[in-house]
Amino acid sequence: MIRRPNQTRTIILLVSPAFIFVLVFFVLPLIFLLSQSVLPEDGGFTLTGYVDFFQSRVSRIVYLRTLKLGLIVTGICVLMSYPAAFVLARMPARRRSFLMSLVILPLMTNAVARTFAWLIILGRRGMVNQTLLSLDLVENPVRFIFTETAIVLGLTQLFLPLMVLPLVSAMENIPADVLEAARSLGANRLTTFIRIVVPLSSDGLVLGATLVFTGSVTAFVTPAILGGSRLLLMSTLLRQKAVILFDQHAAAVVAVVMILTTLAVNLLLRLLRVRQV
Amino acid sequence: MVSRWMVISLVILYGFLLGPFIIIFMASFGANANLAFPPQGFTLDWFANVFETSQFIDSFWISLQLALLSTIVSLIMGIPVAYALVRFDFAASGLVETVFSAPILVPGLVIGFAMLNFFVLLGDMHVMTGLFIGHTAILFPYSVRVISASLRNLDPYVEDAAVSLGANRLRGFLLVVLPNMQAGIAAAFVLGFITSFNNVPVSLFLSGPGVTTLPVSMLSYLEYYFDPTIAALSTLLVIFTVVLVQTAERLLGLSQFV
Repeated sequence: MIRRPNQTRTIILLVSPAFIFVLVFFVLPLIFLLSQSVLPEDGGFTLTGYVDFFQSRVSRIVYLRTLKLGLIVTGICVLMSYPAAFVLARMPARRRSFLMSLVILPLMTNAVARTFAWLIILGRRGMVNQTLLSLDLVENPVRFIFTETAIVLGLTQLFLPLMVLPLVSAMENIPADVLEAARSLGANRLTTFIRIVVPLSSDGLVLGATLVFTGSVTAFVTPAILGGSRLLLMSTLLRQKAVILFDQHAAAVVAVVMILTTLAVNLLLRLLRVRQV
Repeated sequence: MVSRWMVISLVILYGFLLGPFIIIFMASFGANANLAFPPQGFTLDWFANVFETSQFIDSFWISLQLALLSTIVSLIMGIPVAYALVRFDFAASGLVETVFSAPILVPGLVIGFAMLNFFVLLGDMHVMTGLFIGHTAILFPYSVRVISASLRNLDPYVEDAAVSLGANRLRGFLLVVLPNMQAGIAAAFVLGFITSFNNVPVSLFLSGPGVTTLPVSMLSYLEYYFDPTIAALSTLLVIFTVVLVQTAERLLGLSQFV
C-alpha cells in the first residue's frame, strides 16, 4: 500500500470522473423515478400508487406469480447444477476449462436468440407436439407457449450458468482429502455429498441462488416472448403500464417494487452468507 | 466418488444448456417457413433474408458502435477507480465499491425506464445519448471488478521500483502498470462488449424511432413474424460469439474473471 501525504487528492482525482458519472447518470434518474412513484403529475406527496398496486387483484397476481416462478427456477437450477458442478470441480484442469467454456457460452448469446429456441421446441408444430402427435398421445397440439411451464423452462435455460459457475468455484476449494476421510470413516456417497460437499459449498449456492432468483424476477425477454400479455410478470407489467397504458405513475410504482424486491433478496442472502462465515 | 448418476447429471445439464442452440442451428437451414419440427429440406434463404432486412443491418451497426463506445468509456473511467481501490487504503472505499456495484443490483429494465423518463422525456436528450449513458453505467461493475482482480495479481513493488528509479507516479502507471494489465483489460473489454451487445432490458425503453439495438429489433421482429429468419440470425450471432469467446479464452483465460 502506498502511503503518501497527498493521497486523498490522488484518490479523489482517480475516482471522481466515474463517481460523478454514476451519480448524475444513474442515481439521479432513479431518484426521479422514486419521486414519480409518490408524486402523481396532478398533486402532492401520496402513497396511493403503492396502495393501488397491492389492492389491485391483477398486479397482486402478477407479483406473486413472478416470485413463485423465480423460486421454482432457482430450485430447478440448484437441483440440476449441484451434482454436475461436483463432477466438474473434480475434473482434470484441461477438460474442466473446456467444459466450463461451454457453460459460459450460452451466457454470452443474447436472450432473444436463446428464448427463440423454445418457440421451436414448444410451438404448435414444435418438437414436443410433433412427438406427442406421432405417438398418438394427444389428438390436437397442446398449447405450451404462454404457459408458466414455458417461462420456467426458458428462464432456467437462461440462468443455469449463473448457478453452475459459483458452485464449481466453491467446490474447487474442497480438498480431496476431506472427501476421502469421510469415505474411509464409513460414509457412503450420498451421505458424503449431503453432509460434507453441500455445507462446504454453501457460499457458492447462496451466491448462485441470489443471481438466479434476482435474474428470474427481473428478466424481460423470456416472459415477453413465452408469456406475452396473457401471462404477465413484473417486467412485462412495467412495460405494459408505461408503453401501452401510458400510466407513468403506475409504471414507476411497479419499477420501484421491482428494485425493492431485488434489494431485499440481495440483502437477505448476503446476511445468510455472512452468518455462515 | 464420481458415480454414474453424476455423469448422467452432467449430460442433462449440457443437454439443457446446449440443446436449444442445436435446435436453432437446425431450424435456420430448414425450408419450411412455419418452423415445424423436424425441419424439411435445406435452404440458405433465411440467411439471405437476414442480410436483406435493413432493420437488422442498421441495428447491428448501432449495437456495434454502442458496445465499442460504452466499453471503452467504462474502461477509461473504471481503470482509475480499480487502481484507487486496490492500491490505496481509504475510509470511503466501501462506499465507492457499493456505488460501482449498484448498476448490477438494479434491474436493467428499471434503469432503462428511469433514464427514459428523466433524460429523454424530461431532459429532451437524444435516444442514442441515452443508450450510451445507460450502457456505460451498467458496464462499470464489470470493468471495475475485472480490472481490480488483474491489479491484485500485480506486485505493487514493481511500480514502486519504477518510482524509486526516478519515474513519477503517472509515468510509472503508464509505463509499468498498464502494460502489465493487458490481459485484464482485454478480458474486461470482451466481457463489457458482449454485455452491451446482448443487452435488451436497458435498451428496450431507450430505443427510439430509427435508433434500435440488434437484440431489441430481433424482439420486435418476433412480434410480427414467426419464421426461421431469427434462427438464422441467432446462428450467425452464436458463431460470432464462439469465435470471440474462444479467442479470448485461449489468449487470456477469460473464465477466471467471470
